[in-house]
Amino acid sequence: MDPTTRTQQPIVTGTSVLGIKYKDGVMLAADTLASYGSLARFRDVERLIKVGGTTIIGASGDISDFQYITHLLEKILIKESNTEDGHQLYARHIHEYLGRLMYGRRSKHNPLWNSIIVGGIKDGEGGKFLGFVDLQGTTYESSTIATGYGSYIAQPLLRKAVEGREDSLTEEEAIKVLDDCMRVLFYRDARSSNKIQRATVNASGVTITDPYDLETEWGFAESIRGYGATD
Amino acid sequence: MSVMEYNGAAVMAMKGKGCVAIAADRRFGVQLMTLSTDFKKIFQINDKTFIGLPGLATDVQTLSELFRFKTNMYKLREERDISPKTFAHMVSSALYEKRFGPYFCEPVIAGLEKDGTPFICNMDTLGCINHAKDFVVSGTASQQMYGSAEGLWEPDLEPEELFETISQAIMCAVDRDASSGWGAIVHVITPDGIITRTLKARMD
Amino acid sequence: MFAYEQQQQSSCPVKAPVEHRFSPYTDNGGTTLAIAGDDFCVIAGDTRQSEGYSINTRYAPKVYQLSNGAVLATGGMYADGVTLVKMIEQRLEWYRHAHAKEMSCGALAQMLSTILYHKRMFPYYVWNTLGGLDEEGKGAVYSYDPVGNYEKHKWNCSGSAGHLVQPFLDNQIGFSHQREKPTLTMERVVQVTKDAFTSATERDIYTGDYLEMFLVTKEGIQKTLTDLKKD
Repeated sequence: MDPTTRTQQPIVTGTSVLGIKYKDGVMLAADTLASYGSLARFRDVERLIKVGGTTIIGASGDISDFQYITHLLEKILIKESNTEDGHQLYARHIHEYLGRLMYGRRSKHNPLWNSIIVGGIKDGEGGKFLGFVDLQGTTYESSTIATGYGSYIAQPLLRKAVEGREDSLTEEEAIKVLDDCMRVLFYRDARSSNKIQRATVNASGVTITDPYDLETEWGFAESIRGYGATD
Repeated sequence: MSVMEYNGAAVMAMKGKGCVAIAADRRFGVQLMTLSTDFKKIFQINDKTFIGLPGLATDVQTLSELFRFKTNMYKLREERDISPKTFAHMVSSALYEKRFGPYFCEPVIAGLEKDGTPFICNMDTLGCINHAKDFVVSGTASQQMYGSAEGLWEPDLEPEELFETISQAIMCAVDRDASSGWGAIVHVITPDGIITRTLKARMD
Repeated sequence: MFAYEQQQQSSCPVKAPVEHRFSPYTDNGGTTLAIAGDDFCVIAGDTRQSEGYSINTRYAPKVYQLSNGAVLATGGMYADGVTLVKMIEQRLEWYRHAHAKEMSCGALAQMLSTILYHKRMFPYYVWNTLGGLDEEGKGAVYSYDPVGNYEKHKWNCSGSAGHLVQPFLDNQIGFSHQREKPTLTMERVVQVTKDAFTSATERDIYTGDYLEMFLVTKEGIQKTLTDLKKD
């Protein structure tokens, strides 16, 4: 009999995901790099996906585990639509499902090695939802969420921009703060790339941008010895 | 078990209005066994300065003798009492001298300056000084003392009020620490003199 | 002179710290408290959820009003707390179906101990404090360790600032070392609870943001939310 194998460490990984609430809904951002250790292995992997009609999720951590989770979500969405009972899975339900899934796997000592942000319309009553789930089954909701290095580097910037302004921050302002944070992460997180995507949920539904490049400024490097300057 | 918890101790100091108080428990034990209940942990340096030495009992006694020697020498040279602030720096330097083989003691100093200003501070084993506007704590019951003092202390306490506050704070703290307690001693330093009282407490 | 070679170079590429062995446990901090009066009970907890030096969210309630009228305060690992409460709610429902009445506070207290001990070899990493009214309508407080050791008290505080607050409660609720022992009014207990949490917030980094209080009387349960410092 073969010994059972378990995820003891992540293999191909994605770095930070950011999420905020804003005036009209929620917005997520993530880059498209999938790293193999320190190797930038796959440069065009989409880590933000649409789940049902009003929910988006973004994952950092092991990419294969995330693709497996995506598969599970597709399965339950099909099941749910086949029942034709008029019910719909909203962000709150997806978040609860992922929370139980991740906790169940950690309790079997066989975790799905991800940190996931769930965003969207809260439930049938409407309302914004932004939640978090990780490999230990830890769950929470907040108006700003960041995973991985983003929780150290971007979270303070997001809180400064968003806390107390969840219902007044415009879409343009939301885009700018996320782009700015992703840029800072690109400058400081060695496992990140400047090719990013943004996903938005608002009254007009879900939109996920095509991957686009962030403008970066390297002028400062010229004067730094060992970086740009040679002497 | 760590050396800092080998004998067990609880010392705290508080500021009042024109007065300061310093209190300590009286237990001497080895790990969980209590050996005596009249162990001295607070030492009078002069009329206006006291030092509390929680930590490894052997270092408590070594340091108390060291500071007695140092402050006597200071008085002979300077022909005056050492001020609490200067004394704190003397203690700090003495501890830092043993930077790579430290005394296992985190002192608390309390006193009144020449102009009557209250002075309190505490230190780590290496002599890093911490000043506070309200109170300082040290010893195995430090968490408990932080909680009780943070809840009970208020600004501008008169000497008798300060005595009551520090007594309640240290007694309910040591009741929740197995390594300290078995009675306590309190000194309130006022411009007119020292009020010293020993407190009866739980003996378990 | 130097503890390290000057211009020391590492013999291999310096890696960012990566979690290699999976730990199913995490500590999300927080403080909980319960105080029993003659005919009432106050159960409270802060709402901060932390991990390491990061604050996950400022509002993640860990005090739960159970369907039998008791209130359970959980601390330690948040995900285990959530799971435990789900377990308890399921057992409370089964009890209703089997006996056509609500489970008493004392019975729940014993059951919680049993539930915790059944996971003795892979414990719920949760410090519970259960509060409510007993069969005679008197306030009752029970506290637990993660494997089900429990005891009935008049007052209890556990969690990250438990060591700080418990002596304060001994003094202000139990009147230890005091001559007068007046009867406790609910107003007084609420005030002591608020003072205990503002003090704990000063010295414990894992306590803060909001204080959620449940006031249990025979008339019903009242929930209040109070601000705590957010630093």
